[in-house]
Amino acid sequence: MLNVLVVDDSLIIRKNISKYINNLGHKVVGESKTGALAVEDCKKLKPDLITMDITMPDMDGITAVKKVREFDKDVDIIMVTSHGQEEMVVSSLKAGAKGYILKPVNEEKLAKAIASLNGQEGSDSEEDELLED
Amino acid sequence: MQENDNKIYENEIIMPVMKRAVSFLDDEMGIKVVSKNLEVVSPKKIELKKNTAMIGTGGSIQVLATMGYDDSLLDELVSVFLEGEEPDEDELDEIRESVSCEVINTIVGNALVNPVDDTALSITPPILIYEAKSLFKHKNSRISTVTIKTEFGDMLLTIVGPKQLFANELNFKEL
Repeated sequence: MLNVLVVDDSLIIRKNISKYINNLGHKVVGESKTGALAVEDCKKLKPDLITMDITMPDMDGITAVKKVREFDKDVDIIMVTSHGQEEMVVSSLKAGAKGYILKPVNEEKLAKAIASLNGQEGSDSEEDELLED
Repeated sequence: MQENDNKIYENEIIMPVMKRAVSFLDDEMGIKVVSKNLEVVSPKKIELKKNTAMIGTGGSIQVLATMGYDDSLLDELVSVFLEGEEPDEDELDEIRESVSCEVINTIVGNALVNPVDDTALSITPPILIYEAKSLFKHKNSRISTVTIKTEFGDMLLTIVGPKQLFANELNFKEL
């Protein structure tokens, strides 16, 4: 079971991702509305996994990932975003994210992304190919 | 605005967003789009709907996109997002606002590809326009709009630019 921090400025997305996380047998330990709050919450809550939006007020998700990586090299971070542009995916992965889900998000996409963190079935090597380019 | 800019607005910005809006509604929300011929028009004035969210783009293309929903359509979108669950009454307004913003964020974010160069286009966090507003075309601005009719009501998609001509809440700035 993973302890998960859900980060998104959208209430409906936080609610839905939290529901999916619970359905998948994991525990939501916190929800953050901005990138800046996510960094602080990560320090306090020490989650195993963060789901991170990109477009947020105050601090965007890619900047938040970089800041989290300054003090936590181990937490898994999956970006959950509407941005489909390759440059955004590459920037996220270079910042230290380990997965990427394109919105609209559903439980199946989240399950596959979590499985891919451990190299399990359903893992996607597309992120690795992008990083090699 | 030059003819090339007009083509960029219609072909490279509004058309991809419109196509993504249709596929989002039909395929992912299960909301049938009933309008067969979607026409992009460039009026001198447009009335925005009461439920309208706005997003801006940044980078080499800077425009504002708005998406407005009939009440009945927004009710159905909320229902789909909630996946059959009943919301708390005290949260319902916030959830409606959240869904309004999330729909435009998803559609525009998914659709956006830079037609000018290979650099990424950023999008701003979406905001709501609280007062139903009329937009007027000024000399150097461009408004392109399309109405997407669904079985639950209409979605009004508008691209307004350049972004620099407008302040928050789409008020035209005197430069």
